[in-house]
Amino acid sequence: MQNAKDSFYMALRTRLTTINPERTFLLRGAVRPGILVEEAEAPFSQPPNDVFILRWLALGVDTDLGSTMAAEECEIAYQTCGTQSFGGLDRGRSLSEMDEELIAMLQPFYTPKLNYTATPPAAMLTQVFWDEPGFGPAVVQRDRLSRSAKVMVYSYQEQGE
Amino acid sequence: MLADALLRTVAGTSALLRVTGPTTDTNMSELGLVATTFADVVVSPVVMRKLRPTWQEGGESKWELLVSATGVQQQVSALDLASAQSLFAMTLAVTVAGQDYLIESIASNEAFGQVYLYRLLLREARQQAV
Repeated sequence: MQNAKDSFYMALRTRLTTINPERTFLLRGAVRPGILVEEAEAPFSQPPNDVFILRWLALGVDTDLGSTMAAEECEIAYQTCGTQSFGGLDRGRSLSEMDEELIAMLQPFYTPKLNYTATPPAAMLTQVFWDEPGFGPAVVQRDRLSRSAKVMVYSYQEQGE
Repeated sequence: MLADALLRTVAGTSALLRVTGPTTDTNMSELGLVATTFADVVVSPVVMRKLRPTWQEGGESKWELLVSATGVQQQVSALDLASAQSLFAMTLAVTVAGQDYLIESIASNEAFGQVYLYRLLLREARQQAV
């Protein structure tokens, strides 16, 4: 399942750089596209604003098929306080912008599965695919607006995985 | 300088800030596949003091690290960073007397418009696999 998780993140990251190249942030001394995998970074005391945070949750496995299928739930959380130039009064618009970017990032609902432990990443035989996102309600915490969306990500387990 | 002297008089010690290397933006490091290069940056004098918030089951102890602003500024200059905030933003963990801590929040004390002390709220890090 790790290859599917890696491929899903890299697909979203690549699509984000096309959809909104301006969405970047500074982490570990490097400017990166505004998306990260929570479990691959140092723990945050405060999650960064205006960044998509991928969090892997539930896992299900179906072994009754010809190939074992794994389904993993991915929560994509994001939050914003708006922009300084608007004094934060545009935080609703900023959240809507992130909603739209996320919808665009998730389409199409599939990506080739790659093995990122190899250099360069090796293409595998199957694809990673997912269903439509389920958006949660916007949560207001004083000057911060946040939301999360959940997506089920499916993949077939291949030989050697 | 006065802050440094005061910190030393109350058994001031040194702390190691584990900072990330300058070139870390690779796909593999973003996936947690390769260990990022780390460097240990020494800041001194520092003083640790344990905070006593309401204890919670399973909650780690919290500490406050008082760090001399001159010690931080020396490292900011050595690493060619823009500010102390940049240094703390690059810091993954703080080690004092062999124990690792994670930074929860950062505050500073100022006098006459100049920072003389940084106060780092720390949480004990859990043991990681070797």
